[in-house]
Amino acid sequence: MSETDHKTRREAQEERLNKVWASKPGWRYWSAVNNTEVGVWYTVTSFAFFLFAGVLALLMRAQLAVPENDLLSPGLYNQAFTLHGTAMMFLFAVPIFEAVSILMLPTMLGARDLPFPRLSAFGYWCFLIGGVFVCGSIFFNAAPDAGWFMYPPLTTDPKLTGIGADIWLLGLSFIEVASIAAAVELIVGVLKCRPPGMRINMMPLYCWYVLIVGGMILFAFPPLIAGDILFELERLADWPFFDPARGGDPLLWQHLFWIFGHPEVYVVFLPSIALMAMIIPTFAGRPIVGYSWIVLAAVGTGFLSFGLWVHHMFTTGLPAISLGFFSAASEAVAIPTGVQIFVFLATMLAGRVRMSLPMLFASGSLAIFVIGGLTGVMVAIAPFDWQAHDSYFVVAHLHYVLIGGMLMPLFAGAYYYMPLATGKKLSDRLGRWVFWLMFAGFNIAFLPMHFTGLRGMPRRVFTYPGDIGLDWLNLVSTVGAYIFAAGVVLFTWDCVFGIRRRKNTGANPWEGGTMEWISPLPAPDYGIRSVPEVSSRYPLWDQPELAREVAEGRWYLADAEEGKRETLVTSVLDGKPLQCLRVPGNSFMPMICAILIGTSFIGTAFHFYWSSLVVGLAGVFGIMVWLWHGTAMIPETDSKDIGRGMRLPLYVSGTQSVGWWAMFITMFGDMTAFASLVFGYFYYWTIHQQFPPLGLDGLPRGPGLVWPALALLLLAGAWGAMLLARARNSAGSATGLRLSLVSSAVLALASAAAMLWAPWQAGLQPTDHAYDGIVWVLLLWTALHLVLGVLMQAYCLARSLAGKLTTRWDIDIRNVVLFWHFAGITGLTTIAVVTLVPLLA
Amino acid sequence: MTIVLGFSAPRPLRGLGAAGLALILAGCSGRQSALDPAGHEARVVGDLFWWMLIASVVIWALVMAFSFYASHRRGEPWSSRAAARVILICGAILPTLLLAILLVFGLRLMPMLRAPGEELRIAVEGQQFWWRVTYELPDGTRVSSANEVRLPRGRRTEFVLTAQDVIHSFWVPPLAGKMDLIPGMTNRLVLEPERTGRFRGACAEFCGASHALMALDIEVMEPDAFEAWLQSRRTPPAPPRTEDGAALFLANGCGACHTVAGTEAAGRVGPDLTLLSERPSIAAGILPNNTDNLVSFIRNTRDIKPGARMPSFAMLSPEQAASIAHWLLTPRSGTAGTRRADATP
Amino acid sequence: MVLRLRERADLWSLLMPPTIWALHFLFCYLVAAVTCARLGGVTLTKPNPGASFASLESFQPWVIGGTAVALALIAISAWQAWRHSGFGLEDPPHDAATPEDRQRFLGYATLLLSALSFVSVIFIALPAFLILDCR
Repeated sequence: MSETDHKTRREAQEERLNKVWASKPGWRYWSAVNNTEVGVWYTVTSFAFFLFAGVLALLMRAQLAVPENDLLSPGLYNQAFTLHGTAMMFLFAVPIFEAVSILMLPTMLGARDLPFPRLSAFGYWCFLIGGVFVCGSIFFNAAPDAGWFMYPPLTTDPKLTGIGADIWLLGLSFIEVASIAAAVELIVGVLKCRPPGMRINMMPLYCWYVLIVGGMILFAFPPLIAGDILFELERLADWPFFDPARGGDPLLWQHLFWIFGHPEVYVVFLPSIALMAMIIPTFAGRPIVGYSWIVLAAVGTGFLSFGLWVHHMFTTGLPAISLGFFSAASEAVAIPTGVQIFVFLATMLAGRVRMSLPMLFASGSLAIFVIGGLTGVMVAIAPFDWQAHDSYFVVAHLHYVLIGGMLMPLFAGAYYYMPLATGKKLSDRLGRWVFWLMFAGFNIAFLPMHFTGLRGMPRRVFTYPGDIGLDWLNLVSTVGAYIFAAGVVLFTWDCVFGIRRRKNTGANPWEGGTMEWISPLPAPDYGIRSVPEVSSRYPLWDQPELAREVAEGRWYLADAEEGKRETLVTSVLDGKPLQCLRVPGNSFMPMICAILIGTSFIGTAFHFYWSSLVVGLAGVFGIMVWLWHGTAMIPETDSKDIGRGMRLPLYVSGTQSVGWWAMFITMFGDMTAFASLVFGYFYYWTIHQQFPPLGLDGLPRGPGLVWPALALLLLAGAWGAMLLARARNSAGSATGLRLSLVSSAVLALASAAAMLWAPWQAGLQPTDHAYDGIVWVLLLWTALHLVLGVLMQAYCLARSLAGKLTTRWDIDIRNVVLFWHFAGITGLTTIAVVTLVPLLA
Repeated sequence: MTIVLGFSAPRPLRGLGAAGLALILAGCSGRQSALDPAGHEARVVGDLFWWMLIASVVIWALVMAFSFYASHRRGEPWSSRAAARVILICGAILPTLLLAILLVFGLRLMPMLRAPGEELRIAVEGQQFWWRVTYELPDGTRVSSANEVRLPRGRRTEFVLTAQDVIHSFWVPPLAGKMDLIPGMTNRLVLEPERTGRFRGACAEFCGASHALMALDIEVMEPDAFEAWLQSRRTPPAPPRTEDGAALFLANGCGACHTVAGTEAAGRVGPDLTLLSERPSIAAGILPNNTDNLVSFIRNTRDIKPGARMPSFAMLSPEQAASIAHWLLTPRSGTAGTRRADATP
Repeated sequence: MVLRLRERADLWSLLMPPTIWALHFLFCYLVAAVTCARLGGVTLTKPNPGASFASLESFQPWVIGGTAVALALIAISAWQAWRHSGFGLEDPPHDAATPEDRQRFLGYATLLLSALSFVSVIFIALPAFLILDCR
């Protein structure tokens, strides 16, 4: 072929790719699910929540500028600080990580999109609805006002806290579900959607962090969801989980909240460090020194961060020995953190540093973060924490950690990656102003707070007396806060207006070495032109021909002949191509489902139980419709040629399929929530000398033995029937599959009924005692899983009847059987716990 | 600091140095400051803080200098091997050693600071938004008070901390760290004051609308004076009878919530007002104790303290409220009257 | 999945040392917390100076045993990682696109994690030797 032929063919390919990946025009733009659109919406929305929460902080600083100020009423101030913390953590820090990852991860991995684009979109809409609901409440003077930690009994007493607590619990539970969805998506993305040849030792460091952080979300967020369930049951139905008068304990909430809350600090900190790990090699002009050390630090921090939660409870009167373990772990976690810092310094030493704007922010963040880290080492020593705890010292500490460890690196990342998102750089001159305003303002605001705290100022106070030496320190802090805000405003102005006047940068403006810089900028909707084989950690530096070959479409998936969105699935360790994955395109279904389920949550907050239930069921049905049309699509042919003579299957099932991985990972999160509920059960066991409490007959109360045993038998039957269903399907018997599904469903429903009948007939009143409540919760949780399992069976049955589930096309049944394994383990554990403990007592 | 500057700095600068030092020292003092210790635990922890601060400043300066060197150095880059050694030594080994030393020190401190108290025990119960204080004498006698605690110097006094409604936290920074008061739990804290004086404590756990307005007064006395005071309070002296404030107090139902020993008022809902005249402040450490403030508090309770359980008695005329206040603040016969009625607001 | 020796390094073998740390941590914390909660940590019924603290002496051997087991397991894991990484004969960065470098990288990273976990297990065991009762 001549050169012109090549060119014409390439243009035709590009046109097809463009057409397939384009968003729809007009209002239908909002049906987009592609990571480039959803990622941008997500980023912009979470940044907007950051600005909102920042305004609340400025209001607080204005109130505290002088002693005995009455600018804000106490009620409004309490709402402001609660919402400031809540929005910064739940609506900015965690979501911005997910946003940036959704936006960036595919480009770093040379993928066209993440494996479940509609799930990203669903997550985004959940986040938007939940966030607006929670933040909007302050305009109706109905915002939560008891702190972002929501300690009962202040918050469980409806007389002391109004609707705000329900808004917090339900709005944020809804967002947490979205966060977990995003975590699943990102983990599967990193493990399965890398380019061919990118072995695990060659992943960009950002991906390592995403992997670790995704895993942390999976283990950290479910305990809070479990806590939210107990909490909401106490508020709405008076089940006394945190009421000491009826066997509950307010400390249980603190445990569950901080098992979530402390890892969450690292969930927001690690991704920002990950941005630094991308930026520093670029400006040092060399590969990172100590790649393995970074992996050590990320994995180590991920684990250790789960052993720190009690350091938020050092003053609750726990025995010194318990504090000691957490004190030790809190010191130990500083080791991997130190390693990360020195990896960056070592990389700079071994390279030639160009002091660009992103590097300036990175250096500034180091200066701030190291202070936060050092004060963290101080407060990890329990006796010092007894003084510092809940004082402004901790306010200073946490802002040094979060602004130095999260916000400043994020700004560095914003300056670095802006060309990738928009094709243009932000202003260098304004950027220096932004940096110095933020850096100086921050230190002026927060450095004095260390002393404000040690001079006796507690946190969360709307005022303070003028005669105990807190006045000028606070005034200085307020001035600093406004200087800091000026920097943020300048940055925002540059992002929204300033950038429009600037020229396109062209490809790879910073001369980076990683895959995200391979495409021309602004990148087209489809992202990478063709998916190359990678043989280096920094392919753009080490494979000089690569960019040209990719741009000329000489690599894989250079075309979209069938008009379908496609990306590659590779193996976990070695990046061997396994499948050409068809991902679903634009759809309003994620948005509709998010609206329905969101409405159901919001309705529950306002006690419209029945309508919430109906809307919620509609949402579940909506999700099934979405799955029906968007997953396990049967391809027109078994396999396709993706270029260079490589032929890959279009449909794989079982452990090979991304759906199976997603189910597996999701169920890990589900099991963590369940484990938290079981933890609650045993927590009550430790605090009561007589547990379970005695019934009227003088014996330990319990759900009896007969009915739970029957439930377990039925459950085993249902589980077995599912295994049979899969086997019959593999053997080619559609009738066998359907019969097994139906019998499994009948057994499962009977098991669920027996499970709930057991405590009912035994007369366990969930409002009597926390014990009765937690037994009910465990059984309800299990029964609900069985009902979910039955819904999935019904879905499989319908798929089978519609000819979409057959021996060859069997993704659905395999994933559902996987769910049933987890449901079976849940059931077995629940029954064992609730029946054996009373027997042994 | 001044000495160093004294050798070389011109006079005005020397003055500035002295002023700076004075400012730093003044910056630590205060009756609610943990950096101006008046108790054993606060002193030990204060010393620990200064040591940690010095070490932190040194470490921070070294890391910053290193970072500056790494980013502004010209010439041949270091070899990867040498750079990796920096990670191993500065990033891993040195921090591990320093942290281990600090950890062992911190762990050894804990049992020491939680050593048991001596004979006197004081029960403090947190309420929205005040403190119920009960001195439990070794012979079983109880002396009730509220929002003010007196302590003997040099003795380890044990506090038994509980709460009825929500979680509070008892924090007197000059004496010791804080301890939470949690419904359903009984926590303990031992304070060992080392010098006499008046100090201020505060609630450190967010407890509702007026969390910021929940403070308390601490007075550390010489052991003899304290013993004499406590003995004299075993049986509270009779209340003044001469005034119609007493009648108004009872007629308006104040006695349903407040106790005034020697009268029919025996309520347990609100603070004990028996010896209100002796306390330096009213409304849980918020307002200086004088008649004007008390009148204003009686009539505008919920404006001064949002969310308080006591309603505003706005229906009382200023004169009526003044008469109640006057009665409550009249020193009882036989009391020395350590109250500062003339304290400036 | 995690606690198993294997010829080929993978993500599970990478997670082995910190998982041992986590189990050791949970073991120490739960045993201590349950001991203090069930034995009644502090007795306040008697008049002062009668506050008495439940002793943790019986708890120490458990910590010693648990720590020894944890350290041994970490050592085994480190030895396995040492083997995977090529007995230290191959220097990092292990960045070649070969199965050998993948193996060495995972081995080396696991070795580093073993060291961190080893130190952290010792950190966690320290309180049991410095705090002897439930005060």
